[in-house]
Amino acid sequence: MNFINDLLKIIGDFIAGIINSIFGFSPFLADLVTMGLAAIILCTFAALSFMGLTYVERKVVARIQDRVGPNQAGPFGLLQPIADGIKMFTKEDTTPAAADRWVYNLAPLVIAVFALTTYAVLPFAPGVVGTNLNVGVFFIIAIGSGSIVAIIMAGWGSNNKYALLGAFRTVAQLVGYEVPMLLNVLPVVMITGSLGLVDIINQQTTLNGNPGIPFIVFFPFSALVFLISGIAETARSPFDLLEAESEIVAGFHIEYSGMKFALFFLGEYVNALAVAFVFSTLFLGGYAGPVLPPYIWLLLKAAVVFFIFMWLRGTLPRIRVDQMHNLNWKFFVPVSIVHLVVVMVLMKLFVTSPALAQANGGILVTPAAQAAILFVASTLVLIGSLTVAARRARIMRLQEEAVLEQRRAENIAAVSA
Amino acid sequence: MTIHQVLFIVMALAILGSAIFVVTTSNLFRAALMLILTFFGVAGLFVLLDIGLFAVAQVLIYIGAISILLIFAVMLTRGMQGMVPRNSQAVAAAVTVGIIFAVLLLLFGPFRVTVDVARWPVFSLFAGNASPRDVGGIEWTPPNQPIPSVPETYIADFGRSLVDLNQYLLPFLLIAFLVDVVLAGAIFVARQRRPAEVIEDRRRQAEEAAEEAEAMRQAGMAPDVAPLPEGAVASTAEH
Repeated sequence: MNFINDLLKIIGDFIAGIINSIFGFSPFLADLVTMGLAAIILCTFAALSFMGLTYVERKVVARIQDRVGPNQAGPFGLLQPIADGIKMFTKEDTTPAAADRWVYNLAPLVIAVFALTTYAVLPFAPGVVGTNLNVGVFFIIAIGSGSIVAIIMAGWGSNNKYALLGAFRTVAQLVGYEVPMLLNVLPVVMITGSLGLVDIINQQTTLNGNPGIPFIVFFPFSALVFLISGIAETARSPFDLLEAESEIVAGFHIEYSGMKFALFFLGEYVNALAVAFVFSTLFLGGYAGPVLPPYIWLLLKAAVVFFIFMWLRGTLPRIRVDQMHNLNWKFFVPVSIVHLVVVMVLMKLFVTSPALAQANGGILVTPAAQAAILFVASTLVLIGSLTVAARRARIMRLQEEAVLEQRRAENIAAVSA
Repeated sequence: MTIHQVLFIVMALAILGSAIFVVTTSNLFRAALMLILTFFGVAGLFVLLDIGLFAVAQVLIYIGAISILLIFAVMLTRGMQGMVPRNSQAVAAAVTVGIIFAVLLLLFGPFRVTVDVARWPVFSLFAGNASPRDVGGIEWTPPNQPIPSVPETYIADFGRSLVDLNQYLLPFLLIAFLVDVVLAGAIFVARQRRPAEVIEDRRRQAEEAAEEAEAMRQAGMAPDVAPLPEGAVASTAEH
């Protein structure tokens, strides 16, 4: 056993051994304490990474926008998250007079719980996973849809029309973008033949004669759409319509202050980081990688994905509501279905296992050849759909320009007459 | 008590408590939220039964979609807020539910009902193989064989059973067809009408109004309003 590579597992086994020897009289109690400790460690990890990410994001966005960012608290402003935390703790905790007290106070808790639950199924290294569910992918998407409830609770409980408008927008956006997200997880699930995250990672390593190619090479279209839908699901810029400051002030969390607001903030960042982890697991091979220890690989991949989030936030302006819905329902959903059908047929046609080829027919190819075929097909779907969309958009733009030109001519005629 | 029993009792209490809250509260929004808690409890029971797939599907469909729809219906019908959603049929409802519960318990529970055929001869019609010792009453026989565990490959089995001609292919296709029809209908109802269609509709309405007015004039009655000008909104100008 390589000490550095299996560091997390060795530490975990060590702690579990201590607990088992203390609670030796009752395996039930020992299990309970071990699980509770694991949950606390995972939640602490998520909360600490939230602290770090706020600092990193402010620095990166500042650099993109040609500013300095936080630089007063500590060296390079490194103590800024702690200063923010103290500010949040000491702020007055206000409650609107007409609020539905129970719902209003429960909403931040519910959103934090849903955000942290995702981490229970993420594999961090071989053997280091909260619980290796056989429906892991499905679980993550279901929990993501649960956080909609918390946002509705916040929007309604605040008894504020801007909060309610924000909640309406949230539901429209989050329910909509779940569809392309699910449709683009399906190719990965189909080629793996399992919904479990550990199985999906193993399929991307060289274990069991697999080619060791990450799924982003198999399905570049799915990876792209999953990434964009993930940004929309976590309501980060440019999809932050639900807290659009210039339109609905701050959306669903307008009435929250102090620690309750901090919990919403935590939910947002923890969710975004979870999407980065899930994307690295599904499409970049998770903890699989050469030389470096597995947990470092996973953190590196997640950091790269999160950097893309920050990059987009610093670069793109917020899109309009109609653009957001058009992108989803008129582009992502139909093209994802076409992509799914194409990939499905190709996977049935070109099989890698001799047993399956014997049973169902199909052309036997090597895993690398299958990857190449799927890559070409997925890229063709991507390029083709973009071409069609661009052509259609051009036709519509020309029509609009023609109408404008006609109106201008009519106006000139009316004025000169 | 094992951890399974503790969890079962906690979840059963959560389900029952929230379900009672749902039917007794007059605040519809809170009732909807409590219904979500009930759904969560049911998902927890699925987890206890070792079928994680159904638990996750319960969360995704009932909490992620149906509850949201319910909450929207409550939010968008503000008139319902002041109303007390009760009626005077509580007793009838209680009796109906009680009877259904008793029947389900007798059918699926670990009970066996026996009837004294000597006293109620009419039951001999149903009791073809009644043994002499069936002398009326309800026997309780706890199941003595262990409940079969869920196989490891249940997700794959479930998936295959949906596309197997000998199992559930036909219901699956029927549901898929139904969902397609519903989607197409929703798109047809909600679709944005093209400008040309809108103009055509207005023209037809104007023509119909003109024909009606003409018919009334021929019948000797003065028209109330002037016939609508073509393609325009009804004008109420004096004439």
